[in-house]
Amino acid sequence: MTAIALRPPEVVMRLQRLGAAHPTRLSFLRQLIRRATRERWRVRKHLFDLDDHGFGRVVYAVETPARTYSLVAFSTPLDDEKRSDRVIAQAWDTSYVLYDGLPDAADIARLEANAPLQEAGRYTSRELVLARANKSVRLFEDVATALAQGQQPDEEQLLGVGYLLRTTAVYGNGKFGIADRDEIAARPELAGSFQAEMLTVWLIRSFTLDLVDHIAHCRNPAGAARLAPDLRRALGVGNATGLGMAPFLVRHPLLTHSWFLARETALARVRAEPQAGEAERDAFSNALTDLRRRVARWHSDDSRQAAATRLLADDLDTLTESLDQLLAKPRPWDALYRFAEDHFSLEAQEACVSLILEPHGALIDELGDTMKADETPGHTVDGGMNCGSLRHALLDCYSWAADIDFAHPAANARFWYVSAEKLEPRLGERFEEDGAELEQPLATARDALGLAAALAQEPSSASVADFLLRRPEWRHAVRRAQIVAKFPYAEIHDNMIGAELRPVDILRAKLAFFGARSFDPRSDRWLRIALFSGEPLIEDVATMAGEPA
Amino acid sequence: MIDLSLNEVETLCAKAARGAGFSWGLAEDIGRAARRIAVEADNWGLAMLSLAEHAQSFELPDAARAARWRSGEVDQRTGRPLCPIRTAALLLDEPLPAHAMPLAILDVGLPIWLDAMLRRSVMGVARPVGPATRADVVIERRAETELPATRRRGAIDEPTLAALNSFAARTYVPESERSRARGAGGGRVDDE
Repeated sequence: MTAIALRPPEVVMRLQRLGAAHPTRLSFLRQLIRRATRERWRVRKHLFDLDDHGFGRVVYAVETPARTYSLVAFSTPLDDEKRSDRVIAQAWDTSYVLYDGLPDAADIARLEANAPLQEAGRYTSRELVLARANKSVRLFEDVATALAQGQQPDEEQLLGVGYLLRTTAVYGNGKFGIADRDEIAARPELAGSFQAEMLTVWLIRSFTLDLVDHIAHCRNPAGAARLAPDLRRALGVGNATGLGMAPFLVRHPLLTHSWFLARETALARVRAEPQAGEAERDAFSNALTDLRRRVARWHSDDSRQAAATRLLADDLDTLTESLDQLLAKPRPWDALYRFAEDHFSLEAQEACVSLILEPHGALIDELGDTMKADETPGHTVDGGMNCGSLRHALLDCYSWAADIDFAHPAANARFWYVSAEKLEPRLGERFEEDGAELEQPLATARDALGLAAALAQEPSSASVADFLLRRPEWRHAVRRAQIVAKFPYAEIHDNMIGAELRPVDILRAKLAFFGARSFDPRSDRWLRIALFSGEPLIEDVATMAGEPA
Repeated sequence: MIDLSLNEVETLCAKAARGAGFSWGLAEDIGRAARRIAVEADNWGLAMLSLAEHAQSFELPDAARAARWRSGEVDQRTGRPLCPIRTAALLLDEPLPAHAMPLAILDVGLPIWLDAMLRRSVMGVARPVGPATRADVVIERRAETELPATRRRGAIDEPTLAALNSFAARTYVPESERSRARGAGGGRVDDE
């Protein structure tokens, strides 16, 4: 079998394409579901103490082969005017902790005094994840009302939104005193990227369903209906994500490389398959049908996304019509991908990547294990390299940036900073706002070109160590250049400070790796998504081993 | 005392280092070294605060002095303590040849930082240096690099934490009405 080349970073790592990313079977929530199904994780309600209005505390215990984890959930009254998606909100409908083990009464009391405060609380190494979520108010109430009347809610309305609650932050890795990632990284069930966070959201999903059932039952104990199984499975958890998450892919170049490399390797493997078997064709058709159904319900007020979604729907119609013909060709998946590349929008091309991977778990799922990185090797600076070689490597890796003229205001229009008020990353306008002197080191292309220019002033044979001894201000750029030279998917190939930058493109790429769907940009810098919609419920996986996940 | 996660230790120290005037790249190195100090010693907060407070007063290593170290010549004092961070970065970027070790470096400021920074290499400081403000140190070759340390937290008292936060705050930009409005998105209440 002849290999197919990986799509190169100059194609893959452009912001426009990142902003069209779709979840795949390698996405983190899919990896979690597969493991939980394979290992038959069991979930039970350890504590369910809610009043008639749904306020109180709930603990779900998840038993994995080696350990027990618990979602500790608190539901509290919230004035409508305080309900905000912004990370700067100070109160929420619900708050959560993923606890390492089974909490006792003292732990629950301690968490109840802290979790509803979120960032203003303090946590211990027994807490692995901290999160909060707000109700999708109108929908939540409509569903509770319908169920209390013994009826199922309106399906179109329900699935049009896709979730009952929306998380506005899910914190891991040591934030506010919770456990460091290092403490759980060696546990197989949490070793992969964001597995603890995905487990938390998966459990929150079950809580949202139990919460609405509970409220309906309290309103009408004799006659309330329970939300129907197919609707439970269709609903996910919403999420609102803003600028705070945008620098992540830039700040974790080795991890970013590992994610993209795994996905691109998977795609190349599938494209190299000589033919499409019956089972793969069926799985593809099912995935295509499912995606078309989702696209028909994919709503966004963002005109750009709405137009992209319409184009996607058209392209998927074309794909459906052309499918038999494409799959009859030699190397059918490659033919399909190339057809998409030639005829479809970026949104549909990336959807096709996801669809092509879907039937091929046996061929690609093990790549999921490679989607993590020890960032330590990236810390080392190779000072023995000479300045000429580093400059050459820079100009090679950043050739895509060569035409950007940073003397032009539009190319240099923005700066990333940390807000004193909220301690969160923000994007400022360099020529209109104060603070550019405190710019964060996220101007990757500008700094790479600046470093190349500084190196040009050095004797070619001078060592990088000697250069950095005199010019320590370039240390971060040298480190990055040496990483990018070895790890080609480590860098986004676009200007991170240009006037045209749309941070939502970065957010979407990261969220697609999580497994997010229903991307709904609310501006150029924040968006809403859904996680786990259409996926199995965590309480069902113990009894569904063998089913495809 | 407040118990910080090691990630908080690293993030806080990197910001404080930047706020104290170290370059972004060195601030990253300092954050990681702080993690190592926090794992092994209870005084990581004071060590970081001393580093931030003295950041501008250290002697910087220069090419001539570095060349002497490599050639095995005896080191010379300059009267001011040597910056432990710049010295460590130099040694890490271009490790000493085996024949140059053990190497005596004279009058290193806050040598705990030199020690912590070198932990990720095969070079090490020969004797525990503790919280000394300046000391002569001997760099020797070690058998292997240390694994990143885990399974500990970083306890810190409130005054020291507040002092470090004020260094970190030098890297923050105050919000203006304009930036608040543009900020991370809309500022509206959710009614959906």
